[in-house]
Amino acid sequence: MKSFRTGIKSPLLSNALLVMKITTFLLLVFVLQVSAWGFGQRLNLRYKNAEIAGILVNIEKQTNYRFLYNNQLSAIRQKVTINLENVDIRQALDNLFSQTILTYKFMANGLIVINENAAPQATEKKVTGKITDPNGTPLSGVTVTIKGTSKATTTNEQGVFTITAEDNDVLVFTYVGFDPQEIKVGDNTQINLSLTSAASSLENIVVIGYGTLKKRDLTGSVVSLKGDEVKKIAAGNVMESVQGKVAGVDITRTSGGAGSSVNVTVRGNRSILAQNTPLFIVDGIQYPNFQDINPNDIQSMEVLKDASSTAIYGSRGANGVIIITTKRGAAGKVRVGVNTYYGVNKKTGYPVPMNGPQYAELKRQGARTAGTWNSSADDAKLFGADLQAVQDGVSTYYPGLLLKDGSQQDYGVNVASGSEKTKVFFSFDYFKEKGLLNNDYSGRYTLRLNIDQTVIGTFKVGLQSQLTYYNENRRTDNVLTVANKIIPYYVPYAADGSLVRQPGGANQINPLMEELPGAYINNTNTTRILSSAYAEWKPFSSLTLRSTLGITNGSSRNGLFLGENTITRFTATGSLAKVTNATQADLIWENIITWNKKFGDHALDVTAVTSYISNKVDSSYAQGTGQIIPGQGWKALLNNPLNLGIWSNYIGSNLLSGAFRVNYGYKGKYLLTVTGRADGSSVLLKENRWSFFPSAAVAWRIIDEDFMKDQNVFSDLKLRASYGVAGNAAVKPYSTTTGLILIPYSFNDISMLAYGFDPQNGNRNLKWELTGTQNIGLDFGLFKNRITASVDYYDSRTRDLLLLRPLPGSSGHTRVVENVGKTRNNGIEVSLRTVNVQTKHLTWSSAVTYTRNKERITDLVNGINDVAGGLFIGSPVKSFYDFKKEGIWQTPDSALAKSFGYKPGDIRVADLSGDKCQPDDKLDATYDRTVVGSAVPNYTLGFSNDVSYRNFDLNVYVFARVGQTFVSDYANKFEPNAIENGANVNYWTPENPTNDYPRPNANISRASMPFATTLGYKDGSFVKIRNITLGYTLPKTISQKFHVNNLRWYVSAKNYFTFAKQKDYDPEGEGSFDRPLTKLLVTGLNIEF
Amino acid sequence: MQNSINKVMGWVLAGSLVFTSCNKKLTEYNPTGMTADVTYTTAKGFETLVNAAYTYTRWWYGKEEGYSLSEMGTDIWTNGTGDVFPQLSRYDNLQGSNTSALGMEWDNFYAAIYLINTGLAQIDNVPDYTDKQKSQRSAELHFLRAFYYWHIVETWGGVHLTTEATAPGVIESTANRTPVEDFYKLIFQDLDYAVKNLAATTSDYGRVTSPIAKAFQARMYLTRGMNAEAAATATDLINNVDIYKYKLLPKFADLWNMGNLKNSEVIWAIDYSTNLANNDLVSAAYPSGHPRGSNSGHMLFLQVYDQVNKPLLVRDVPNGRPFNRYMPTKALLDLFNENDDSRYQSSFQTAWLCNKAGTGAGNNFKPTDISTFKVGDTICYTSKNTLDTTVMNAKHYTTYDISRVYNAAGIPTNRQFYVSLKKFKDSTRASAGEAQSARDVFVIRLAEMYLVAAEANFNLGKPDVAAGFLNTLRTRAAIPGHEAAMQITGAQVNLDFILDERARELCGEQLRWFDLKRTNKLIDRVTRLNPDAAQYIKDFQTVRPIPQSQIDAVTNKSEFPQNQGYK
Repeated sequence: MKSFRTGIKSPLLSNALLVMKITTFLLLVFVLQVSAWGFGQRLNLRYKNAEIAGILVNIEKQTNYRFLYNNQLSAIRQKVTINLENVDIRQALDNLFSQTILTYKFMANGLIVINENAAPQATEKKVTGKITDPNGTPLSGVTVTIKGTSKATTTNEQGVFTITAEDNDVLVFTYVGFDPQEIKVGDNTQINLSLTSAASSLENIVVIGYGTLKKRDLTGSVVSLKGDEVKKIAAGNVMESVQGKVAGVDITRTSGGAGSSVNVTVRGNRSILAQNTPLFIVDGIQYPNFQDINPNDIQSMEVLKDASSTAIYGSRGANGVIIITTKRGAAGKVRVGVNTYYGVNKKTGYPVPMNGPQYAELKRQGARTAGTWNSSADDAKLFGADLQAVQDGVSTYYPGLLLKDGSQQDYGVNVASGSEKTKVFFSFDYFKEKGLLNNDYSGRYTLRLNIDQTVIGTFKVGLQSQLTYYNENRRTDNVLTVANKIIPYYVPYAADGSLVRQPGGANQINPLMEELPGAYINNTNTTRILSSAYAEWKPFSSLTLRSTLGITNGSSRNGLFLGENTITRFTATGSLAKVTNATQADLIWENIITWNKKFGDHALDVTAVTSYISNKVDSSYAQGTGQIIPGQGWKALLNNPLNLGIWSNYIGSNLLSGAFRVNYGYKGKYLLTVTGRADGSSVLLKENRWSFFPSAAVAWRIIDEDFMKDQNVFSDLKLRASYGVAGNAAVKPYSTTTGLILIPYSFNDISMLAYGFDPQNGNRNLKWELTGTQNIGLDFGLFKNRITASVDYYDSRTRDLLLLRPLPGSSGHTRVVENVGKTRNNGIEVSLRTVNVQTKHLTWSSAVTYTRNKERITDLVNGINDVAGGLFIGSPVKSFYDFKKEGIWQTPDSALAKSFGYKPGDIRVADLSGDKCQPDDKLDATYDRTVVGSAVPNYTLGFSNDVSYRNFDLNVYVFARVGQTFVSDYANKFEPNAIENGANVNYWTPENPTNDYPRPNANISRASMPFATTLGYKDGSFVKIRNITLGYTLPKTISQKFHVNNLRWYVSAKNYFTFAKQKDYDPEGEGSFDRPLTKLLVTGLNIEF
Repeated sequence: MQNSINKVMGWVLAGSLVFTSCNKKLTEYNPTGMTADVTYTTAKGFETLVNAAYTYTRWWYGKEEGYSLSEMGTDIWTNGTGDVFPQLSRYDNLQGSNTSALGMEWDNFYAAIYLINTGLAQIDNVPDYTDKQKSQRSAELHFLRAFYYWHIVETWGGVHLTTEATAPGVIESTANRTPVEDFYKLIFQDLDYAVKNLAATTSDYGRVTSPIAKAFQARMYLTRGMNAEAAATATDLINNVDIYKYKLLPKFADLWNMGNLKNSEVIWAIDYSTNLANNDLVSAAYPSGHPRGSNSGHMLFLQVYDQVNKPLLVRDVPNGRPFNRYMPTKALLDLFNENDDSRYQSSFQTAWLCNKAGTGAGNNFKPTDISTFKVGDTICYTSKNTLDTTVMNAKHYTTYDISRVYNAAGIPTNRQFYVSLKKFKDSTRASAGEAQSARDVFVIRLAEMYLVAAEANFNLGKPDVAAGFLNTLRTRAAIPGHEAAMQITGAQVNLDFILDERARELCGEQLRWFDLKRTNKLIDRVTRLNPDAAQYIKDFQTVRPIPQSQIDAVTNKSEFPQNQGYK
């Protein structure tokens, strides 16, 4: 008879065998026949350094006893030294096992079962393993925790971990950007694991308003981006980095100036008077200054789009909510990250004005039309003293003298560490951007400290704080406008190399004068603190109470010095010095109760919130002109003898709210969310002070239905629908009162106080704008989530729109803010992620976002268009209303032209209609103007590709914005009388019957040229390769020699290729030629220790 | 468990307590803002209302919008190249929708009316005013209301008239159409009250007095054909020097001297402060201010002298900042006999001198002629006469005689270089680029009373008396030694002559359009004398279009139509 021993390595198999083993054992008990046995048998055991298993075999030989044990028991292999004579079996085993964790038990028929002791210290074993990402790349720094204990470790550079654990322990593997995974130790000593990336996973935790939710349980339209994605594109601010990555979020950058921000709208423009910027929540606290945040600090960013997700923010939620969560520390190894890059900024397309000869020709043609120039014989009369320069073909490209290459650089360090009870994350970052103009720069310092401290088991406190300091000098002086209009055959330098104040003795100040040191200073120092502390108590596992106190504080000092030779002061007298100080303090106190419980198939998750937000802004300025010593700037205003002025202002408001949310799930398949928020605000009068914002959403996880079990196409399928109402808290403080304004006045040079009425009347009936949004969405995954997608259709209707309603001037006021008017935005959003190739060395994944939004005004004051305000029912908010340019009146049509009052060479516009609703052979502003375009695109498309091949990674990201119109400063800059330089355009002459631009005419100005504004409207559609990044990660084998975990070097080209109908101009800049947009070539390093 | 529930209840209770106390915080706190109910209810505060009621005069007087509405579109001016309201200068497609000047004036006149009506309704409730103070301030407000309504009714005709002000915060979106007669009824009522209750003098230069009210009353009488009253009132102001202290300056030229703005001929002026911070330029502290501020008159009428010969003649303070907006019609220049009448040389600049020495071609029409110029040498000369080409070519400087500016029909062939009105130039400005001038704007000066008296007497059938008043002005205007040549007889006096005389005396002084309208000569004289505008002006254009913003905003549209002829 043989004893049973198993020695199978596979954990799965060993479990199965264990079951078999026991069954077999039971059979044995009854069937085995043991001939003879008894306690009386005596044993002699004398071994030195022998394996217990071997000793047991010898005992079997000496006696009739038989041993039953698992061959894998480590203690059975333990070596012992033993010296026993004439002992019975019990004594022998007691002695033998005394140095081990082994125990024994006598069974019938002389069978002895040997087991390991259940005591923990006696059964611990070493478990090791290797953790990789889905591509098989080792992940270092993965935290491995034994569930329910403080025992933790992290993986090393090869992704290998070692931990001692028991069979009953559960190991939890967590790593930023990946799904946490849990594995029971069981018999295993080796656990190799591939973590799945969080982005595509349903178990991923998504941050929502006042809480979190598993992605699978979402009922609303929420897009979640992980930190890696946010920082993929080198950019000064996080929103610029995610441009085009979130369907439904339109992000544009309209200025290339240093430190300039971006415009963000979610699902179109709802509001006309009010901002359409979404609500930004950073670590639970509202914080509009997203540009302050160091992109490397971001753990995740969530975009809440539909009303069911945003209604929990009540009066502030209608424009969508963007929740930014920063990184926290983690138990285990200290992790240090270093990120740095340096890049060169260059202007993207920038159109060139006329050169000297081209301008001279324009001037001739203008004079020719006026009858004062017929041939070059008249040049002398026309150009006078400039004749020589004209004949010599002198030309200066003034913008070229001002525009230089800028730069962008970033240096950041972050440290994450912690023990089980204390977790710390802190970081430092310095970002500096130099713009294309001299003295245009923005430096930003960001410090962050996040701490979480467990006080006692159920009570936790923490702090997250961020300090941002800016040192900036912004050029906001329209210097390029002057450079583009200065006459090109005038030279900026005198013979001795000095600057000429007014080139050619003309009326333009030399724009280079502002480049002189100290001539133009616009320096802003801003410090902002975002700090919040929380206390969280979890009295039982189903209930969490959390109280958060947040303080955001900002102070800024803008010092402005405009020397007497600056563009602004050239038309005034002496220099201007001004200092503006502002402080802002927000206090936010929120209490959140969360309770969740499962009752069989029913899951309930309830959140209740109380919130108090107070907001104060104090500002003041002082100024003077005519400083004696220019270098003193605003630091010695008393030395400014003239026009001393002071001003101060206070604005404050408070918001008090209560909110709740109930999530209910049945069998995890049928999900319901109901939310409500009541907001009370100080900016409204009592009758309208409190508003309630309800919403409801349902979702059906079709994939979890039985009938979906047998198919293998869909790996995920969920249908969502929601409706809710959110507000736009856009009523400015004090809008309900009719204010007085101080009007400067004097009798006999003695200043007098004069208070007249503000032209804007107050409105006591103001209330919030309300946006009701319905949303239907489908989330699905195909082929084991090789393809995942979300498709949303939404329809949001905004009513009680705050409108600056024009009042008849005869009433004494010219405008009032009123809740009138409606807008509607509906559209479709598609997000698609595909894994195109996934092999050992090569992966290629793509992400596509597509947004199509139809925005229009549906009602205005009295239901009629507001022409003066540029608002038209049926058109988007930002629409352009003008005559429709058909071309230029040509000589053969001169009779027809004359009937309209024009002549060949004038701009020809369409006769669209008349008082009888049909063309009436007259051109007038009432009937012949129409909406010629809108700044709103028809659709936007983002297409991002990530390829990784061995140690290389490549990102190519294409962004398209199609269908919008912009007003080109350049195209509009046509001066018929050549009073200034302008765009180099194809204009009409009798010999050049073009349809592009009208005939120059020395006797008319652009202002009086008929239909001049029709020249500027341009199709702003563009396709842009936003980003090409190529990275290389040093093999670990090499990097470890420098004690570096991970070292990645990359080069990146941002905005380098733009395809647009407009030549030499980046239409994203919306037509401005003062702030050309930039493209960036950057190289950087990511290092992790 | 029980313990935990108690704790939770405790939290909830504490939370709701905080909530209740917070609710008090929802009352708005506004320490910066001022409101009417707090401010206008004390004497000190009410003074600020009265002061503010004056400020709206600055939107018209000395402003481009005001000049374009009061001097342009007449027989004496046409547009230069830089004109931004050619539709007002030429009546070419003049609409309420395309002329921002209309809206600016309309809104500010009515803002003034609203403020005044508020003040007149409130003044009896000001506890710390004496009766005398009350009647004085009340009279000022009455005067200003009459003054503003006159601008409104003459510019737009029978539009909105009210003596009431809705309470702040109450939204008024309708307007009425009131006959012109009712406007004048109110204007005369208000002026009667003002004349009776205003003090005779003031130490606050610019504040209205009883004589000022009388002078304006004289203008109103004339406007309404009340010639006897007009003649009597004007004559009273002219003759009673002992009482009123108004005297013509000996020399017309002295009127425009920046050092002599507060002089005995000025009856009422809009007093722009030499401390520009007291004026009305838009700023962070006064965001609804005027985009240019102070007096702009110094820039608008100037030819672009700095483009004539840039190396030798550059922009400087004495020559001014040339905006090239307006140029005289040939007809205006033809009104002057420059040999006898000093007002031509005193009103117009015709020569520009070298202010940057150098060598170069001085005569643009003869570029080969290089000579050396020193500061003070003539660089540009403009003439109201036709000069001989050979004579002009012989000069080292550039000449624009009348033929180089206007064609035979009087249409300008060149709108950049011309004889330029210099009345408003201001060489006290701190720099050549300074757009703000502290020059006061003369609203009423004694010379106008002579012209009122003359016109009223002529209308009363007393041309000789009229001639007498005119001759006083003409004698003062005469170049010394040419007094006799300036005299006219009663037989020479007619309405056109009076208008000619007004042009010679008052051109540029923001009265012309009203003068033509009053005398029913607008269409006639524009058609005859201003060929640029003649092609466009229509009979209905004796009123301006109501600003489109008003038309769009009124809710009783059928009761408040656009002025006839405009769309």
